[in-house]
Amino acid sequence: MTQQELTAYILANYDGKLTLLDTGRAEPMFELKPDDLLEVTRRLRDDPQLKFDFLCNMGGVDTGQRLEVVYSIASTTKHLRMDFKVVLGYENPSIETITEIWPAANWYEREMYELYGIEVKNHPDMRPLLLPEDWNQGFPMRKNWDAPDFIRMPEL
Amino acid sequence: MPELRTEEYQINMGPHHPSTHGVCRLLLTMDGEKVVDAVPYVGYLHRSIEKICENRTYAMCIPILDRFEYVTAMSCNYVFSLAAEKLGQVEVPERAEYLRVIMLELNRIASHLIFFGTTAMDLGALTPFLYGLRERELIMDLFEMTCGQRLTYNYIRVGGVSRDIPPEFVPKCREAIKIIASKLPDYEGILNENPIWLARMKGIGHTDPQQAIAWGVSGPVLRASGVKYDLRRDDPYSIYPKFDFDVAVCWNGDNYDRYLVRIEEIRQSLKIVSQALDGLPDGDIRAKVKAKFKPPAGEVYVRIENSRGEMGVYLVSDGSEKPLRVKTRGGSYNQLQFLPEIVRGRGYLIADIVAIFATFDVIMPEVDR
Repeated sequence: MTQQELTAYILANYDGKLTLLDTGRAEPMFELKPDDLLEVTRRLRDDPQLKFDFLCNMGGVDTGQRLEVVYSIASTTKHLRMDFKVVLGYENPSIETITEIWPAANWYEREMYELYGIEVKNHPDMRPLLLPEDWNQGFPMRKNWDAPDFIRMPEL
Repeated sequence: MPELRTEEYQINMGPHHPSTHGVCRLLLTMDGEKVVDAVPYVGYLHRSIEKICENRTYAMCIPILDRFEYVTAMSCNYVFSLAAEKLGQVEVPERAEYLRVIMLELNRIASHLIFFGTTAMDLGALTPFLYGLRERELIMDLFEMTCGQRLTYNYIRVGGVSRDIPPEFVPKCREAIKIIASKLPDYEGILNENPIWLARMKGIGHTDPQQAIAWGVSGPVLRASGVKYDLRRDDPYSIYPKFDFDVAVCWNGDNYDRYLVRIEEIRQSLKIVSQALDGLPDGDIRAKVKAKFKPPAGEVYVRIENSRGEMGVYLVSDGSEKPLRVKTRGGSYNQLQFLPEIVRGRGYLIADIVAIFATFDVIMPEVDR
């Protein structure tokens, strides 16, 4: 299956739940509604045509206007790869855990919560990962985060 | 006489345990001598490389990402450059691609030599460590001759490489390949039938292939459990399709197989380097890239096969000279979060945990970043 065939297959078979974003690049990038996350990821993993069994990467993105959660998945048998994202607002961002689909998401979700403040619902183990246990200075990867010893690079 | 009772107790392994090669704490729950559960605590080396990169230009990110995975810093340079080139649609000259492959594979060999040495050292044998570092020194000399650095290279840049190799590089490199290839039987001779080595390696730390895939484990650890999955072959990048090499694979998924896979990968990498030296074309070493590199707005995830598994960068550009987001992914991260799964309830001893940790080849800066 080539990347074009993969895109066509997903657009035809996923009831419009994955909408294609125009990024002008080889691998397709889709957008997904937060409510559909668990259902669609389970279908992507179990679909005999796709078998997306490998979570490469996931993480938060703060674009300055909104928060996003980006997932990169791959198939080790079909040699496919795709990305999709879930868009969230700054008001109480929260998302369902996908650890039951891909257990690999466990640490990525812990990291995302402490760095971006994106709450992960039903996560099995929500302790802080990288930051100290007594960290109380907010979510450092947010664009508006500031601290006394954080110096922004001057404009060039 | 009062009745004797037993109970589980907890001990900390680390943060400064010599076998973790960095700063990692494993909270072990013990039942007598047997390990019942292990919980990793990480973050001691967290420097927030990703936040620092958001605050730097693309060219300034590369030396910072050198510190992301310092044992194979060439891969860190390469994966970030590859992502930036995909965003900016930069065409890389062929000679630069060959030089990159030579450096990446030499770095992979150096990393596996460190693995070989430190794993044996963790199990109490000092000689292999000296052997491994002796041969690694040949590769470090080649890197120093090319870019002046021995650990953090800043060599592979957006659009190509920073400078051409000196004329004496090719003969020295061929000589180094020959020496390393001739030493591999020594390595196997000193360890493969050593009873202490086998007792800690054979049948310990078995990984199930399906479970490993679900936990995002990749690289030699996955291939040792029988999954023939190598991004150089299955999701090709750079000029790897031009080279003839085998994907090393073993079937038992225990510590011993992870060691065998890595030794075989050294052989295959030597093969790739020697083919790349034969085919090295003349020409430019760097595409024309503006000093103020500004890729158009967009986002891309690229991944390469590093010596510790899949290494990836998710790069978002908003069209300015600084990246909007740099998300790095390293193989060690998934290997370490998978570790409790293969320790829990199997009744291993602490010395077995040391061996498992060593053959997973976890490097802490890649986890903490």
